[in-house]
Amino acid sequence: METIWLYQFRLIVIGDSTVGKSCLIRRFTEGRFAQVSDPTVGVDFFSRLVEIEPGKRIKLQIWDTAGQERFRSITRAYYRNSVGGLLLFDITNRRSFQNVHNWLEEAQSHVQPHSIVFLLVGHKCDLEAQRQVTQQEAEKLAAAYGMRYVETSARDAINVEKAFVELTRTIFDLVRSGDIKIQDGWEGVKSGFVPNTVHSSEEVTKGSRQCFC
Amino acid sequence: MSDSEATAAEGPEVAPNSQDASSASTPDGSTPTTPDIATDVAPTRKARRRPDTKTSAEAEQTSKVEQQPPKTSSESTVSQGGWGYWGSWGKTILSTATATVATVGQGLTQVIEKAETSLGIPSPTELSTQVEDEQQQQGDASSDTDAAVGDGSSAVGSAMGMLSSLTSVVQNTGKTVITGGLDALEFIGKKTMDVIAEGDPGFKKTKGLMNRNATLSQVLREAKEREEQQTAEEESSDSEKKVVAHYGMLFDEFQGLSHLEALEILSRESESKVKSVLTTLSGDKLVELREELDHIKDSFSLMEFDDEDVDEKKDEDGTEFEREISEALEGLSVSSTADKLSKTCKSACRQITDMTHPENEEEESEEDVKKTVSVEDVHAAAIRSLAELTARSIELFHKVAEMILFSNSSTEAGVLSQLTVVLCKEISLLSKKFTSCLTAAGSNEKGDVLNPLITGVFLEASNSASYIQDAFQLLMPILEISHIQRSAESTEQ
Repeated sequence: METIWLYQFRLIVIGDSTVGKSCLIRRFTEGRFAQVSDPTVGVDFFSRLVEIEPGKRIKLQIWDTAGQERFRSITRAYYRNSVGGLLLFDITNRRSFQNVHNWLEEAQSHVQPHSIVFLLVGHKCDLEAQRQVTQQEAEKLAAAYGMRYVETSARDAINVEKAFVELTRTIFDLVRSGDIKIQDGWEGVKSGFVPNTVHSSEEVTKGSRQCFC
Repeated sequence: MSDSEATAAEGPEVAPNSQDASSASTPDGSTPTTPDIATDVAPTRKARRRPDTKTSAEAEQTSKVEQQPPKTSSESTVSQGGWGYWGSWGKTILSTATATVATVGQGLTQVIEKAETSLGIPSPTELSTQVEDEQQQQGDASSDTDAAVGDGSSAVGSAMGMLSSLTSVVQNTGKTVITGGLDALEFIGKKTMDVIAEGDPGFKKTKGLMNRNATLSQVLREAKEREEQQTAEEESSDSEKKVVAHYGMLFDEFQGLSHLEALEILSRESESKVKSVLTTLSGDKLVELREELDHIKDSFSLMEFDDEDVDEKKDEDGTEFEREISEALEGLSVSSTADKLSKTCKSACRQITDMTHPENEEEESEEDVKKTVSVEDVHAAAIRSLAELTARSIELFHKVAEMILFSNSSTEAGVLSQLTVVLCKEISLLSKKFTSCLTAAGSNEKGDVLNPLITGVFLEASNSASYIQDAFQLLMPILEISHIQRSAESTEQ
């Protein structure tokens, strides 16, 4: 069991129903693609370690939310403790792209007083023939909201690693620069345990000593 | 790091726990056992992780073990020795927990750790072998045992003084304590919470570990973090050391922590919604609603775990459990989560069968048992199964909560308490099976190797049962808000 990691980041994955959130996460955490899957109820959990620099591992705890509207009142409650998120839309489904704006608003209003780093993901990029959203317009939208944009495919395992690692690295940089701080009572970023605390004892303890009571 | 810890910890970060313990116990430091807790916490934890490294505390305990009457002695002696330890355990709980409400959660984890050295080590083998003995000769043994218990508990009674209600509970259930270690731990734990609640009215409302400052998931998370730290240290210092099974880490691996946290979020939200609804009402409507909510609350406090049934039932492969679960869950659309739970249970049962199978043959195969299955293997399998089953149970409660909230269907609290009983029974049953397995596999091991392992299984099983019961309590505000919303809808129509 690998237990040594520098930080744990909690990520939330949101987006319309059937855009492929659970499939993307399963590809990332379990390395496989399920042809058929049941709609997510409420929220499910996954985790994986990511090595962003040699010897520097981050544990990702991923909250996979239900996209269906009827679960919205429940999933809203889960935003607050996330430091980052993947906002998915389906490139073959224009409507899911148009809803990106609503998802962002929804997230921003429920994550207060914390902030959350999003990555925009255009999913199902293996279905090029059915594409309804061009890469250019998606990039433009992402830039407008200060997000990065990645196109992925869980089925063909395209850019899945890249999407998660890129988001993780962005958050890591923000943590290292002090823009994101570890806070008591907030689960977004947790410091891990590093033996022989050579390289990072300072960064690890810096945030956690503060008291926000 | 929890809120409660942040406020209490003033020293170096590495020892927030002992800091907490000492600050918590100073207000009523008159009890002689109190200073013991603070100093004992750290070494005790170590002792559990690595049974091979002996701390001074444990060495002391081991010598006590040797002073214990030999196994062959009459039952009355054994039970009396056992009672003395139970007594001191109860006392420790009280002196720690009454200090402040905020530290109850932590007090309890310390108690659990503490129990391992102070009461567990002398008796677990005796307990588990006795379970088997008793099952065989239940009839004639019981009268003896009852008499012995009478003696033992009255001695404890005088020692514990103020704890009269706890002692009377202990007296009544004496036999159960001897026949099943886990039931006793759990039962006494539960009753102790009641005793605490009686002495502390503020606590009564938030029965269990559910107070605002130390949530259950925080308690568990801290346990997990300590284990992780320790494993990290072990990995770096001595790679050859055997990795001991860590309940907290495994529980997290099965996403138990996440489900628990999500359940807590939903519970807290519902609770505040209920409160805000109550503030908008007045007059008859308020009285009426309060009555209805009290009715829901009552069904949550009535739950009793009847451990008598556990001994009777033999669920070899987990099918009985599956049947009971699906029975309890009828009408709630959580079948896929329930399936996971049944699978976990079946796999645990299969492991037990695999490990005990050679034993069914003749005496010669005793050798095989020893060679093929080590006590460490059995212990690891037991801890893993308990952690997984508990995580899946919490997941089930979380999913049930989500279904209740979004479907707004009428769910009876009775159904959920029935479910809790089934789950706790299963935990109890599994722990018994695993410890008999351990006893069989470790028949040639020395007591100081085997006993901590058996104690560990019983304690984690006891923890598991409390986690499940506490998670059950988290469902209460969810049923309340669901009830409010349903009645609001019906009046609108």
